[in-house]
Amino acid sequence: MADLAKGTRISLTDGGCVTIVKELGRGGQGIVYLVDLNGEQKALKWYLTAPDEKFYRNLEKNIMNGAPSDAFLWPEHLTNRQLGSFGYVMQLRPKNYYEFGNYLLAKVSFKSFTAMLAAAMKICNGFMMLHRCGYSYQDLNDGNFFIDPNNGDVLICDNDNVMPQGEKSGIMGKARYMAPEIVAGGIPDKRSDRFSLSVILFMLFYANHPFEGARVVACPCMTESFERKFYGSEAIFVYDPTNNTNRPVRGIHQNVIRRWPVFPSILRETFEREFSQEYLQNPEKRMIEQNWEKIISQVRDQLVICPTCQEETFVETNGSRGKCINRGCTIDISKRLLINNRSLPLTDKTEIFIDNDNTPDAVVSKDANGVLLIKNISSDKWMVETPSGKIKTVESQDIMPVKEGLKITFKIREIPYRGEITII
Amino acid sequence: MGLLDDVVSVPRRTMTLFFVIDTSGSMIGNKIGAVNDAVENVLPMLDEISASNPDAEIKVAALEFSNGCNWLYDEPKLASEFVWQDVTASGLTSLGAACLELNSKLSRSGFMQTPSGSFAPAIILLSDGGPTDDFYGGLSKLKANNWFKNAIKIAIAIGDDADKDVLTQFTGTNEAVFTVHNIEALKQIIRVVAVTSSQIGSKSSTAGDITKQEQVIKDVTEAAKDINGAQSEAAPAPANPSDNYDDWD
Repeated sequence: MADLAKGTRISLTDGGCVTIVKELGRGGQGIVYLVDLNGEQKALKWYLTAPDEKFYRNLEKNIMNGAPSDAFLWPEHLTNRQLGSFGYVMQLRPKNYYEFGNYLLAKVSFKSFTAMLAAAMKICNGFMMLHRCGYSYQDLNDGNFFIDPNNGDVLICDNDNVMPQGEKSGIMGKARYMAPEIVAGGIPDKRSDRFSLSVILFMLFYANHPFEGARVVACPCMTESFERKFYGSEAIFVYDPTNNTNRPVRGIHQNVIRRWPVFPSILRETFEREFSQEYLQNPEKRMIEQNWEKIISQVRDQLVICPTCQEETFVETNGSRGKCINRGCTIDISKRLLINNRSLPLTDKTEIFIDNDNTPDAVVSKDANGVLLIKNISSDKWMVETPSGKIKTVESQDIMPVKEGLKITFKIREIPYRGEITII
Repeated sequence: MGLLDDVVSVPRRTMTLFFVIDTSGSMIGNKIGAVNDAVENVLPMLDEISASNPDAEIKVAALEFSNGCNWLYDEPKLASEFVWQDVTASGLTSLGAACLELNSKLSRSGFMQTPSGSFAPAIILLSDGGPTDDFYGGLSKLKANNWFKNAIKIAIAIGDDADKDVLTQFTGTNEAVFTVHNIEALKQIIRVVAVTSSQIGSKSSTAGDITKQEQVIKDVTEAAKDINGAQSEAAPAPANPSDNYDDWD
C-alpha cells in the first residue's frame, strides 16, 4: 500500500471526509497522519495492509459503542475502504503527553510521585472500564500509553485490537509483555491483560522489567526460544521471595535496586504475589483492576511531604514516626485520618485523595501557631461531628483543625466517605 | 526531585545489523553507487528506531568482500556514530572468506559482547554474482555458529546474474532472497529490509511460533509487491524486459 499524499481526501462511513495534512509517524501496522475534518485537526491511522472484514466490522462496532473512559484515544470515525486499504480517525494526542517508552529510556521523568501514582491509577481505571464494557485489550505493552509527566494523566492508544472478551483478534501481543499462557499459545483475554497490566505498573514504578535479572542477563543471545522461556514457561520474578536466582544486577538494573526498598511495603507484597509462580500459572488468581486501584490508593495515602526537607516521601504507617526516603529525616506521622481501612498520615503540605479520580480533595497546612489544619479543596461541603456531638460544616475552600475525635463525612460526587481524625 | 530524576535508561539488548556487501568488480558503477547511497540514507532511520526503542539498541556492522574481505569498522557501532565510507568495487567474489570472517566475529569474544546481552543479529547479504572461492567450506563453518543459526538472514540479489542458489544456501530459504532489477528497487529494498529487521523485536506478533526471520520475510515480501523491479524469489514476478543492467556499462 502506497503512502497517502498531502491533500488526499479520504471518505468516512458516516458521510464525512478527511484531508491528509502530513505524516505524523509510522509503525509496523500502519501510518498515522494529521488530517483535517471540517476544520478540526484529527489523527488518521491508515493500515499499510488492510486487515480482514472481521477486523473492519469490529472496529465499526467499537466506534459505535464509544470509548470506555476518557483515558482512551478511541477510534471515532471509520473510513470507507478505498485505495486498497482503510483506517480510522481519532483525537490528536496533545503535545504534553509522552510515550511510555521515553520514560523507560529516561528521556522523560515524572515530575513527582503524585504524578506517577496518578498515571498508575488512570491506567488501572482505564482497563477496569474497558473490561467492564466486556472488552479485552489483547496487546497491552509499553507502546500503548502516552503520559503527561506533570500530572500523570494518561492516554491509551492503539485501541484497534480491542475485542469482545473471549474473541480472537489474531494478535498475540509483544514479547516481554505477554502473559505466560499466551506465550505458550493461548488466546489473549482479560486475564492476560491483567498480567500485562502488572508488568506495565511494575515498569512504571521501578523502571525495570519484572523478569529481567541475573538469570536473563546471563543469556548472551535472546533468541525466540529463550524469550519463550524467560518471559513465559520459566519466568522468575526478580524479587521472588522463594527464588533468588534472578535478582537485579548492580550496574544494569539500577532503577529497581534503588526504588524497590523506597516504595511502601504494600506495593512490594502485591508484586511478590502477582508475580509468584502460583499466580503466573493461574491466570484466574490475578488481581482485578479494582483491587489494583485500592493498592495504588493506599500507596498514595503513604505519600507525604517531609516537613524537614520538603520533598515527597513514602512512609510506612505502622508506627507514629516515619523515615524520609530522601535524607532519612524523622517525620511525625502520629496524626491520622482514618477512612475505612485506610490510615492517612496528616503532615503539613500533604494532599489527600479521598476517591480515585486523581484530583486531591483536601490539603493539610499549618497555621502561624503550628496547628495542623485540613483545607477542603473539593467542590463539595463536608459535615463534621465533634467529640461533644456538635455538627459543623466545612464548605469548599474552608479549613478545619486536625483534632482527635473529629468525624468527617466527605461527599465526593454524591458518594459519602466517612472519616475520623485520630492520634496514634 | 531526587529519586525520580536519578533514573537511568532501562538496559537494552543490542541488535546488530550486519551488512555483508559484495564489492567485486561486477558491482562497479551504478550498483555500488546505489548500495552506498542506500546504506548511507538508511543509517539515520536506524538511529531513530534505536533512539526511541526501549527494547533494543540497534548497532551496525559492515563487511565488504571482493578479493578478500574487510570490516568497515572493527566493532559494531551505533547508527549515529557509523560514518559511512563509500565502498568501491573491484576484484573477485570471496563470499566463502566473508562467511569465515563473519563466523569469527559472531561470538562473544568477537562482535557480540555487550553487558546487557544481545538479540540474535540480522544479516543482510547483497550480491550480484557468484562466489569465486570456497563458499561451501566457509558456509558450513558459519552454519554451525549459533548466532548465525538464530539470525534473521535476508539476501538481496542484484540482477539476474546473482547466484540465487548460493543466496538461498546462505539464508536457509529462497523466501528470504529478494531480487532487484533496477537501482531504485535496490535502494528501496535495502531500506525496507534494514528497517523491518530493526523494528522486529519491538513489534507485537500475530502468531505464536513464527520466527523473527519468518516475520521479516513476510513483511518484506509484502513491501516488495509495491516496489517496481523487486521480487521475492519464492514468488518471482514475471520478468520485465525493460529492467536489466545491460545499459549500465
